[in-house]
Amino acid sequence: MATELQPSLEDLIGIEHCKLGFFKELRQKLKELKASNKESEQRRQEIAAILDGITDIMMVLSEDLRIISVNHVFHRLLGVKNPVGRFCYDIFRGERHPCPECPAHHSFLTNTVCRETAIFTIGERNRQFEMVASPIQNPDKTQRRILIFKRDVTMEKEYQAKFYQAEKMATIGLLAAGVAHEVNNPLTSISGFAEGIKRRLSKIENKDVAGLEDIEDYAATILKECRRCQGIVQALLTFSRPKSSPFSPLDLNVVVGDTLKLLQHNILRIKDREINLRLDLCESLPLIYGDESQLKQVMLNLLINARDAVEEAGGEGSITIRTMKAGKDMVQLAVEDTGCGIPQENMGKLFEPFFTTKNVGRGSGIGLSTCYGIVKEHCGEIIVCSQVGNGSHFVVKLPVNPEQQREQPV
Amino acid sequence: MQATKFAIPEIIFGRGSIIHVAQCAKRLGAKRVLLISDTGVERSGWVERVMDILRENSVEWVYFNEVNSNPRDYQVYEGFEVYTEAKADVIIAIGGGSPIDAAKGIAILAGNGGRINDYEGANRVMRPLPPMVYLPTTAGSGSDMSQFCIITDVARQLKMSIISRSLVPNISIIDPLILLTKSQELIIASAVDAFSHAVESYVSRIASPFTTHQALLAINLIIPNLMRAVEDRSIEALEQLSIASTAAGMSFSNAGLGAAHALAHSLGGMFDVLHGLVHPVLLPEIMRFNTPACPEKMGTIGRCIIGDRKCPDEVAALEGIERLQEFFTELAVPVRLRDILPDQSSFERLAGAAVGDACNLTNPRTAGKDDFLAICERAW
Repeated sequence: MATELQPSLEDLIGIEHCKLGFFKELRQKLKELKASNKESEQRRQEIAAILDGITDIMMVLSEDLRIISVNHVFHRLLGVKNPVGRFCYDIFRGERHPCPECPAHHSFLTNTVCRETAIFTIGERNRQFEMVASPIQNPDKTQRRILIFKRDVTMEKEYQAKFYQAEKMATIGLLAAGVAHEVNNPLTSISGFAEGIKRRLSKIENKDVAGLEDIEDYAATILKECRRCQGIVQALLTFSRPKSSPFSPLDLNVVVGDTLKLLQHNILRIKDREINLRLDLCESLPLIYGDESQLKQVMLNLLINARDAVEEAGGEGSITIRTMKAGKDMVQLAVEDTGCGIPQENMGKLFEPFFTTKNVGRGSGIGLSTCYGIVKEHCGEIIVCSQVGNGSHFVVKLPVNPEQQREQPV
Repeated sequence: MQATKFAIPEIIFGRGSIIHVAQCAKRLGAKRVLLISDTGVERSGWVERVMDILRENSVEWVYFNEVNSNPRDYQVYEGFEVYTEAKADVIIAIGGGSPIDAAKGIAILAGNGGRINDYEGANRVMRPLPPMVYLPTTAGSGSDMSQFCIITDVARQLKMSIISRSLVPNISIIDPLILLTKSQELIIASAVDAFSHAVESYVSRIASPFTTHQALLAINLIIPNLMRAVEDRSIEALEQLSIASTAAGMSFSNAGLGAAHALAHSLGGMFDVLHGLVHPVLLPEIMRFNTPACPEKMGTIGRCIIGDRKCPDEVAALEGIERLQEFFTELAVPVRLRDILPDQSSFERLAGAAVGDACNLTNPRTAGKDDFLAICERAW
């Protein structure tokens, strides 16, 4: 230390050292400040860009849940003019007190990150939000703040529900295929033996055997029911493992027309009265690619259901069949009825196999599930809207070019 | 010849020039100045005078006077606190070496922060100091000219030399009228100090034509004027001593000092003796010690004292020293070391400290510890 302090002759002369002036200092300070200002401005812009990139609602709240600042998403979604200084619960709920489930409140209490989901009505629409509240660490602990993110998860939840549905259908489909396969073999035996009995009966025709007519009758019934069962099994197999027969260009209007020709006289009648059927077909409908017979089956199922719904509602009612373009790449087929409608609790089960509300003997419960499988195979979508007492509305959306749809999964 | 440097403050010289103090401070950007002085200067009324001038010019001030002769490190901290609390800008000091050195210490902390001993040594001040305006009240210390600042480190019991060109004040106002109120003792002590500055810087290893000229001017002015100034306080004589002191200050600030000041600093660090009164004791012995190293220059000094005489330089030098000692005796100040020290027990430490002093560096003849011991013994 002592030697370090020891100056030299050169130090005393100090050629390189002069009286330091404030001007130089000031200029340096200015330069430094400008540089650091530029740097912090750049950083600010970067951070602003990052914040602008956030698509969630972002708010900073004070301890009494007043809004201190919000991001542009807040303005865009809520359109509240001057949110700063107002209470969060006032803006989102129109309440005078904090909401009991408020994550910001919990976050303040526990000083931890809190999550919560809640439904807010925004612009007359219910939207589901996932909220994350995290305390902002402030070096001076005097004013605590909370940062809140609100993410609109309405769409996600819808997709999630669809995904669960698809998952369930796939599982049930496998089960159904297994059951159908196993049932098919004994069914064939039963049917074969019933045929045998019928043949034997014809050989002993002239002999007077008591109850012979009854036996003939029984055998015929067995065969009839066997055929019915085979039909069901076939339908089940179609639903679960649809044959991928080569698709061909199709006009959806032709499918509608052909199906109606087949059915009009048999099915679209209730107690000898024709159902009021309206057709609203788009004339310039683009062609789709698909399996004509399968799509006819879909059409058929939807029509039968509509007819049954109208009948259930007393027979007075109408069915409307529409075809139209849906966006650039889709066409849709809608079957609307003014029938009894579907109760809310049944909506989730509509496409499950064997789910039916019809009387025993009227429906097997695999019609809609078959439809679901077919539409899925066509890369399409089937949507139901229904209101009890007012009727139901089934929409089948099909892509104009399913191959393209496959490459770009939604 | 090595490159040298000559740096001095702006100098305002003349009777009554104290009147310019407020304008000078204002020109340097003063809104609220820190005014530093000591109780001695207060008693003579000059602090009041400066305050009046500041008031008349609407310059605010805060006043700090906790300064001893040989200013202490803690006094610098106290002064710095006053400066910071008052949010002062320009520093004005009026006084002898002590208030001015204290002011320099405060200025270093104001511009650079830290502890004052961080800056011990040469050129360790890295940031600008607040503007400084100094008014010397003793024709001697030269602190109002110099790049030196001497602060006593209480814990280590030594005088720290802080050397930096930034310590040269912005403006030095030298008003000979101020000397009129000085005590006889103070006038002598200051003049002897100035004489010592002149002699040591004249023979310094880094003396330049610009410093030697000033040194000789001081030497030539002090001997004839000191007696007159002491005897009848003639303003003319006091004015000449002011010029001499200023000239000596210009010289030693740029050329440095020598062994006499190195020993004087070690003495001042251990014993609280008036700096100026150490030189009549030490200077003649140091001059004797230095003569073999620079006979020509010492001869020149000798002839300044005894008058032009045709003789070898060494003879003129030694005769000059003899005459100088007689002169000091006539002034009735202590001339032997035994007059100011209780015993010789401190010689070892004194010599050791003197060897390490920055002033020893420029002494024309290298002085080791043994040399200092011998000098002390001869001066006893």
